[in-house]
Amino acid sequence: MKEEKENLLVKMENISKSFGKVGAIQKVDFKVNRQEIVGLLGDNGAGKTTLIKILVGIHSPDQGVIYFDGEKVSFSSPKDARAKGIETVYQDLALVELMSILRNFFLGRELIKDGWPRALDMKQMDGICSRVLSDIGVHVRSTGEPVSHLSGGERQSISIARAIHFGAKLLILDEPTAALSIKESNKVLDYMREVRDRGLSVIFISHNVHHVFSVADRFTILERGEKLGDFNKEEVSAEQVSRMIATGKLI
Amino acid sequence: MKQQTGNRIMFKEFGALIGFSIVFLSFAFYVPRSFLSVENLGSMVTMAAQLGIMAVGISFLMISGEFDLSVGSVYAFSPMILALLVAQGVPPVIAFLIALIFAAIIGFSNGLITLKMRIPSFITTLGMMMLIRGIILAITGGFPITYKSQSPMDLIPLLNDRFGQTNFRASAIWFLLLVIVFAFIMDRTRYGNWVLATGGDKETAGALGVNWRKTKWINFILCSVLAGFSGIVNMGRFLTIEADLGEGMELEAIAAAVIGGNLLSGGYGSIVGTLIGTSLIGMVRSGLVLAGAPVFWYRAFIGVILIIAVIINMRVQRAVME
Repeated sequence: MKEEKENLLVKMENISKSFGKVGAIQKVDFKVNRQEIVGLLGDNGAGKTTLIKILVGIHSPDQGVIYFDGEKVSFSSPKDARAKGIETVYQDLALVELMSILRNFFLGRELIKDGWPRALDMKQMDGICSRVLSDIGVHVRSTGEPVSHLSGGERQSISIARAIHFGAKLLILDEPTAALSIKESNKVLDYMREVRDRGLSVIFISHNVHHVFSVADRFTILERGEKLGDFNKEEVSAEQVSRMIATGKLI
Repeated sequence: MKQQTGNRIMFKEFGALIGFSIVFLSFAFYVPRSFLSVENLGSMVTMAAQLGIMAVGISFLMISGEFDLSVGSVYAFSPMILALLVAQGVPPVIAFLIALIFAAIIGFSNGLITLKMRIPSFITTLGMMMLIRGIILAITGGFPITYKSQSPMDLIPLLNDRFGQTNFRASAIWFLLLVIVFAFIMDRTRYGNWVLATGGDKETAGALGVNWRKTKWINFILCSVLAGFSGIVNMGRFLTIEADLGEGMELEAIAAAVIGGNLLSGGYGSIVGTLIGTSLIGMVRSGLVLAGAPVFWYRAFIGVILIIAVIINMRVQRAVME
């Protein structure tokens, strides 16, 4: 029992949230173990994103408790969640297109030089950014390049690299492969494995069962705001998972 | 900032610099003797500085994704408050601070209404522009107000003192200082990074922990205070405020910022670009006078330059972005 507890990174118990009269999430339990990739699945409107927004403090739950890294938490903003090591990469909220890779990488956590005036330490930031990117195998011409020059896969990998660098314990990826080519998707899936091997946990939210299935250790399926079930990878096939999502019924 | 795209090096101020060079060369060719004189250079700089102090604030606010149309009214309102207070015997330095605080309150209100009520700042500040102008007219009755100080230590005229017998004035120094300080803040500080991110994509900035509402709010206040300061500097020269002073100036400041390569929709821009944009406008104004063109051509000319500059700027931005 104790061992199980120590192995748990995230535990959300009996979470409910409604917007007006619509119950978005009803009595959902959700957990993530350390060094585990969990696929959070479900059709549109199943409540995947709402559940995650509750976890990172964008919404506060009407009911339920959240434990992270052994302690009870209630984040009031994503900033709080980040400070504790929860990093979220949203599908289209990851990078500011008009800004350079470097400025995006350190956005909100810029490094400054000692003394006055408190100027950005561009040189140090450039060094770190280049090193971290090449570490996980992302190659860019220059960190000064605007993000709009990059492909979808490169953008995702920069967000992921950023999360790793800033010491995240949990990485949440919202539809990371939705807009990517097959080749790029595979690359991003590789990064996810790399992230897990470095000791992080990942929540992978997606529609694409095949992408999730190839990397996830476990799946949680939501259906209209309720949990349909948790499944270990060995217990189910990709086809069964697809059917459960499509029909909303257990198999 | 330089950005490498393929073999070409493009920079944000490229369009403004081209426009500036073309207009400069045209005037230099057409009226060489008077245009290339120190005298004219002085009046060009003076005209640019007045508008430029305001345009720096407008640029900051615009890069963070908002407008302020009330700056023209604040340009008259702040010095009016100052003149009225000094007439009541308030020491000029104190009156100066109070006048800037009034400007700050106007900027604060613009931010409050825009951000809390979720109204486009275009509308908020259009309303504020009319409101403040109405108050000015009500207080002055439409007559000019003259600045008179009994104080032996009056700093207000010094704010815009003339350098010897030249056409150069202190306003140019304020403008240059502000350009240096704010270009530094924009390009080399955390706050500048947040301003760019706020204007570029506020949801993403927010998701990364940037408080974009606060950033915009600060810029509303900054913009208004600089407009007030610009108005006070102007009064330091003429020592009088007409009731319609600054009308239309808000659009000129926005034009200067846009000519300088600042993106109207935010997220991209340069304070050095604004310096070039305002200098271009100052140059056109004094150049046309020298060329003997009737004064009313000035606006038409600025209009044409604005459109051409934006066309060049959009191409530069596309080259940088793609």
